[in-house]
Amino acid sequence: MRDVQDTIRARGAELAIVGNGAAHFAKAFREDFALTGPLLVDPELRAYRAASLRRGRIELLSPRLPLHALRALRSGARQGAVQGDPWQLGGVFVIRPRGELVYRHVSREAGDHPPVQEVLAALAPGAPVVEEQGPVSHPQAWLGHALGRLVDPLIFPSFDRTGFRIHALRFQPEDLAVDLSGRRCLVTGANSGIGFETSRALADLGADVVLLCRNRERGEQALERIRSETGNRRVSLELLDVSDLASVRAVGARLAQLPVDVLIHNAGVLPDERAETRDGLELSLATHVVGPWLLTRTLQPRLLEAKDGRVIWVSSGGMYTRRLSLRDPNWERRRYDGVRAYAETKRAQVVLAELWAEELAGGSVVVNAMHPGWADTPAVQTSLPRFHRLTRSILRTPAEGADTVVWLAACPGARAFSGRFFFDREPRRTHLLPITREASSDRRALWELCERLCEPLCETPR
Amino acid sequence: MRIATRLAGIELEDPDGGRRRLGDLWQKQPIVLVFIRHFG
Repeated sequence: MRDVQDTIRARGAELAIVGNGAAHFAKAFREDFALTGPLLVDPELRAYRAASLRRGRIELLSPRLPLHALRALRSGARQGAVQGDPWQLGGVFVIRPRGELVYRHVSREAGDHPPVQEVLAALAPGAPVVEEQGPVSHPQAWLGHALGRLVDPLIFPSFDRTGFRIHALRFQPEDLAVDLSGRRCLVTGANSGIGFETSRALADLGADVVLLCRNRERGEQALERIRSETGNRRVSLELLDVSDLASVRAVGARLAQLPVDVLIHNAGVLPDERAETRDGLELSLATHVVGPWLLTRTLQPRLLEAKDGRVIWVSSGGMYTRRLSLRDPNWERRRYDGVRAYAETKRAQVVLAELWAEELAGGSVVVNAMHPGWADTPAVQTSLPRFHRLTRSILRTPAEGADTVVWLAACPGARAFSGRFFFDREPRRTHLLPITREASSDRRALWELCERLCEPLCETPR
Repeated sequence: MRIATRLAGIELEDPDGGRRRLGDLWQKQPIVLVFIRHFG
């Protein structure tokens, strides 16, 4: 807490804490955490109510609560005597002079805390004002929230199309009533599935869209289709094989000659057998992890120049099954399992989104990951034919799978988040089981692996 | 009404018995205002 307090001060701001316990509890709290900023008590919950913070038994009966408690215990926290109102939940706000709200996080349940880097990003000069949202009043949105709370702890019905329809009840149509003219959006794997639908939607909103595709013929077909269906001629095609580091560096350098506002890492593979790129990397590792890292690094200066830069990693719900492991990322000492390689690298993407958010914190760029749920895409049809056959009738459409990517790229309110993992336009937890939590040494090792593989390329003249 | 406007007029006590108006917290610099569930 002291470190956070110092970091906040270094950015010209102050940390203030409000609790609902009695003054003597607050005194002990202040000493325990060496707080020097304002600490206030609100036993009557006047400020909690004014901030529209949640209160209720349902929120404290979340199935995720034991996991939050376990995490707190592992980090050294111990529950003391019950103080104040046990049913009251918390939240975090960043308010600038003149009462400008630039960050808001309302806890959905006990232990639901925002990442520190997300709060710090709101202290950056020029951080946009967050749209004020009153309590939900629309009956349909209410229903969406209520049903969402029932299905969210489950995979089915949640990842499927029923889940999308339930979550979509609370989507705000005005979130995507935006004009993206003048914003240049880069989408990898843009010729089919979620990449195609994302590109088409962004073009429809007026963006300059660059389709980054491996195959010229399929890329040109996608380009023509998007141009004719949206009437947007500012859509172009660049040939790029994300798994080929020299290609990434060369094409990235060319792309960096113009502004870059949005970078979407969507390209994906699911090989049956271990395949190696010409850089000697296993194909999933190269396509999902190392290539996107290099593309981000190459475009970093351009992203930092953007007023509203956004990087989005299209991960997968399959990543929930794996823990980040750097023991044999290139599959040289293990019997190859394509589905496992896919899930491991999709987990790595979620961690990379968090690490890039930290790397770029304090600037104008936000970085988030998402998963699209189960969508009926050509990739699923060819790579997971049995899964596709069994689930075909309940799969989402590719456009439904792409919805959150488009929302993260286009919605003004979405830039309030960085380093988060989204599903159906809401930040979600990144672990369903404590066993998948990675060690901080593995997080560092992942970043160092990417640096080691890519930095030599970054040093060569473009 | 904006959240900041709703909060600004509320006066709360600090652990030493002093009183602070919330609106004063962000008058000169940005404030990270954290509402916690419990102390500890």
